Amino acid sequence: MLSLQPTIEATATAFAGVVRHLHITARAFLPMRAMDEVHLIPGKGIEGDRYMIGREEGFYSDRPEDGRQVTLFEIETLEALRRDHKITLKPEDHRRNVTVEGVPLNHLVGRRFWLGETLLEATRLSVPCRHIEEITGQAIFDPLINRSGLNCRILEGGTVRVGDLVRNA
Amino acid sequence: MRRHGAILTRVTAIEDAGAGVKRFTLQDPEGWALPPARPGGHVDLFLPGGLTRTYSLCGDPARGDRYVIAVKREAEGRGGSAYLHDQVEVGDEIQVGLPRGGVPLGPGFHLFVAGGIGVTPFLSAAAALLAQGRRDFRLHVLSRGAPPLGDQIAPLMDAGLARLHDTARTVRPAVADLLAALPEGASAACCGPAPLLADFGAATDHWPAERVHLELFVPPPLVPDPDARAYKLVLARTGVEIDVPAGAGMAQALASVGVEVPVSCGGGICGTCAVTYLEGTPLHRDRCLSQTERASKLMPCVAQSAGARLVLDL
Repeated sequence: MLSLQPTIEATATAFAGVVRHLHITARAFLPMRAMDEVHLIPGKGIEGDRYMIGREEGFYSDRPEDGRQVTLFEIETLEALRRDHKITLKPEDHRRNVTVEGVPLNHLVGRRFWLGETLLEATRLSVPCRHIEEITGQAIFDPLINRSGLNCRILEGGTVRVGDLVRNA
Repeated sequence: MRRHGAILTRVTAIEDAGAGVKRFTLQDPEGWALPPARPGGHVDLFLPGGLTRTYSLCGDPARGDRYVIAVKREAEGRGGSAYLHDQVEVGDEIQVGLPRGGVPLGPGFHLFVAGGIGVTPFLSAAAALLAQGRRDFRLHVLSRGAPPLGDQIAPLMDAGLARLHDTARTVRPAVADLLAALPEGASAACCGPAPLLADFGAATDHWPAERVHLELFVPPPLVPDPDARAYKLVLARTGVEIDVPAGAGMAQALASVGVEVPVSCGGGICGTCAVTYLEGTPLHRDRCLSQTERASKLMPCVAQSAGARLVLDL
């Protein structure tokens, strides 16, 4: 039995994911802009994004949070919303920065992982907010509970491009 | 000061649009796209001194990087239009709310009846219809003398899609006559001064509601809650009492007396805005407080009161 333990632990976080979409925006409420690549500054955020520490232009910037430098979202959630709730939410609509495929975000809280050449530390799960219903005009608050993405701190910065791999550190 | 939840814009153009009207173009300071608006939608402008004024968007809604509004200077107004006309210059920053409303543009013919500056939402709606390749609409502009925004109305008149009724020269047409002989299934919309809206309302009284639109700048109605009732919200530390209408938000009621609670998710799950209550029975409606916590805490972003009085430890 003891020999199973490491196997279970390794399986729980084993994944090989891909960056599918990258988005930033300069200020709260403004539409997210699709990017081919973004630049992550360690300890601060994404260049040009509203939540970059020091910029403070986001909806929640009046409540500064060191662990909200970059946010991720699963593309599988968009598929589930379409399949189970008949809601079409596009990658630019969920308002997280990085849409990934094949990454179990909810398993990563408290862990470190590589996003392309950058090293992130997952700080907490994102929480959906009514703000996003205001912007999208869709009743998506309830369906997003517990799968609204992941907030991360940037430990090692660099450039992240669409198509980059996401893997365990 | 930045208003929470407002969009920051910069005035990039101010033009004389005739008939005492100025046209303002508002853009993101760095040229980012703005939140999209529906054709004929409107925005709140948050002006100094706590003034909030609502203006229809009159530009092409497909131009996502700008909000264009037209403002008539109202000498007898409440100060918003005078401020915009007399104080605001290109380069100034103005905070605006998210676009709301809009003129429904479903299939079928659309008749737009505008009085004076009330033409604004229909210029946006006409641009949207033309962008779809549709010409199945007609705009009637009733104006005493030259209308405002004549440069935007003229191309529609040239295309046979708009007609100007100068009431300084001719008798004002009866709305019922404008509505006569429309194609089957046509929709009609009106924006203008109260007497015109009243005439339009009377003329369309027998129409199906879904084919009639009055542009009134009313906020979207609150979602009805069968359990909601009006109550008195009492702040124990200051003695302030607030009469909260049935269904109104507690956080907004607190904000109305200058008490800002840190609402985050706005849906009763994140726990950020929790407040202690001392007397009364809340209708909790949150999904984050335990039964034990609910004995003393509530979430003002979603909570209401089951009784006539609720006392908060604020």
